Amino acid sequence: MSVEKAIRQYVLENYLFTDDESELANNDSFLDKGILDSTGILEIINLIEDEFKVKVEDDEMVPENLDSVNNIVSYVERKQG
Amino acid sequence: MFLSIIDKLREAVGMYPDKVAIIDNEDKYTYTSLWQEIVACNAYLIKKGLLPGDRVALLLDNSFEYITSYYGVLAVGGVVVALNTSSKSSDVINWLDNSGANILITESKYSDLYNEVIDSCKSLDVINLDLMHRHDELLVWSGSMGIHNADIYHSPEIFQETNAAIIYTSGTTGKPKGVTLSHGNFIANFTEVINYLELTKNDSIVNILPFYYSYGNSILHTHLMSGATIILENSFMYPAKTLSKIIDNNVTGFSGVPATYAILLNRVNLDDYDLGCLRYVTQAGGAMPQAHIHKLISKLPHVKLFIMYGQTEATARLTYLDPEKLIDKLGSVGKPLHGIDLQIRDENNNKLGSSETGEIYVSGPNIMNGYWNNQQLTNEVLIDNYIKTGDLGFIDEEGYVFLTGRRSDMIKVGGNRISPLEIEEVINQLDGIVEVAATGVDDEILGQVIKLTVVLNDKSTINEKEIKAFCRKKLALYKIPKYINFVEALPKTASGKIQRYLL
Repeated sequence: MSVEKAIRQYVLENYLFTDDESELANNDSFLDKGILDSTGILEIINLIEDEFKVKVEDDEMVPENLDSVNNIVSYVERKQG
Repeated sequence: MFLSIIDKLREAVGMYPDKVAIIDNEDKYTYTSLWQEIVACNAYLIKKGLLPGDRVALLLDNSFEYITSYYGVLAVGGVVVALNTSSKSSDVINWLDNSGANILITESKYSDLYNEVIDSCKSLDVINLDLMHRHDELLVWSGSMGIHNADIYHSPEIFQETNAAIIYTSGTTGKPKGVTLSHGNFIANFTEVINYLELTKNDSIVNILPFYYSYGNSILHTHLMSGATIILENSFMYPAKTLSKIIDNNVTGFSGVPATYAILLNRVNLDDYDLGCLRYVTQAGGAMPQAHIHKLISKLPHVKLFIMYGQTEATARLTYLDPEKLIDKLGSVGKPLHGIDLQIRDENNNKLGSSETGEIYVSGPNIMNGYWNNQQLTNEVLIDNYIKTGDLGFIDEEGYVFLTGRRSDMIKVGGNRISPLEIEEVINQLDGIVEVAATGVDDEILGQVIKLTVVLNDKSTINEKEIKAFCRKKLALYKIPKYINFVEALPKTASGKIQRYLL
């Protein structure tokens, strides 16, 4: 499964509780839109580490890498090289 | 002569005019520029017709504008009603209705929310700071008034008992609980906090706590009264970013709830960060696991860790544990602040002796005036000037307070206090629900999370996801149940009361 699809599916299922794809835009800010809180972002990090075998370093836990589907996709692709 | 919150701030402005008071993203504001904006806000609100005693609601993120609005309202002699920004419109409508606030100061980020509210509150005057017309390149309040270097300020008469703020501690269940705090409450409590934290102009803090709650509100006032610097960080979603801010700004203080430290200890390698600048950290908002206290001490041996206990009804703080006694009195929340009488009483209201467990009652100059517009509830909680806290505990022979639980069914998720009735009321709006109970279950990070136990009727096909989706529409994020359990019937006593402890 692609990173984009996996993240979208996870957020829709576990935080928006819906199958309606239109509820989540890929550039929606998780923080500004109130989609995730601080524990939610930790769960997303666990997902990234488990599913995509990417180690999220402390200094990489920043909004530029994690605050939207698009940001996560770019970050994971960069890490996977 | 009594000095109000505004007088105390003005004193700090006089003493530290060029010192940086607030850092908000890339912008730095000195005490003088902060004061000028407050005076301009004061002039704006007076022009709007605001009178002493009028309530003004704030629906704003922590920001320089939040702070200038807050003190601007106080400078008129008004009462600040700072609203929880993660709330849904039903809560906001209820709070505006209860408080009688006719002005709402907000920002475009919350336009969906306040537009829903406007329909129900026709007389509400919404001031959206992002849409304010500004003269020149001035800050928002100065710019809207077209005044440079505002310094003309006529202080209203403010007494010790004059109301300063209403803090709502629960949502839509019945009549809202608006904790009404006076200038005297604030001054008494924050003077004590400043004393035990030994705050001075040399201190600075990266603040992640919302100012609309009493803990964050306490940080705001105590630091500004001390001439310290507050660096705003609106969330703890990215702990590494917060730690970098602490290091980059050579920060001396940090405050969090147990969940903050659970995240710091479990998700971040603190050894990678040079936190030598930190002088102290504080923890309130529920009990922190003792293992986390030990770990925090070992990771930050040079830092004073203050374990604190309080209630919104007591302005913020009731007790603190002297860091020197942290290991000796592990598990204690310390001793009452100067001027606070803390008693343990049994169910018949008799005072208990040392080491006997009962309910905690407190009295002192920090105890609220009451719940706004809710005399019945005030009478239930405020008895002979003592607050019935709902917390259970005991005092040992040396006067240290230990908490053992809660008498009420309130759930505490990551520092947020939630009434189970509020959740149940929302769930009961769904078709097919026979009955429901919300309870708190232990969680490693958040302290507690919400578990729903639901009884459906025979025809109902509603599932867990649909219930959570409904909650998301109706409740703030932290109130959404994590677990949902479907059962045939709820356990009850002979008189029909739900036995929550069995769920």
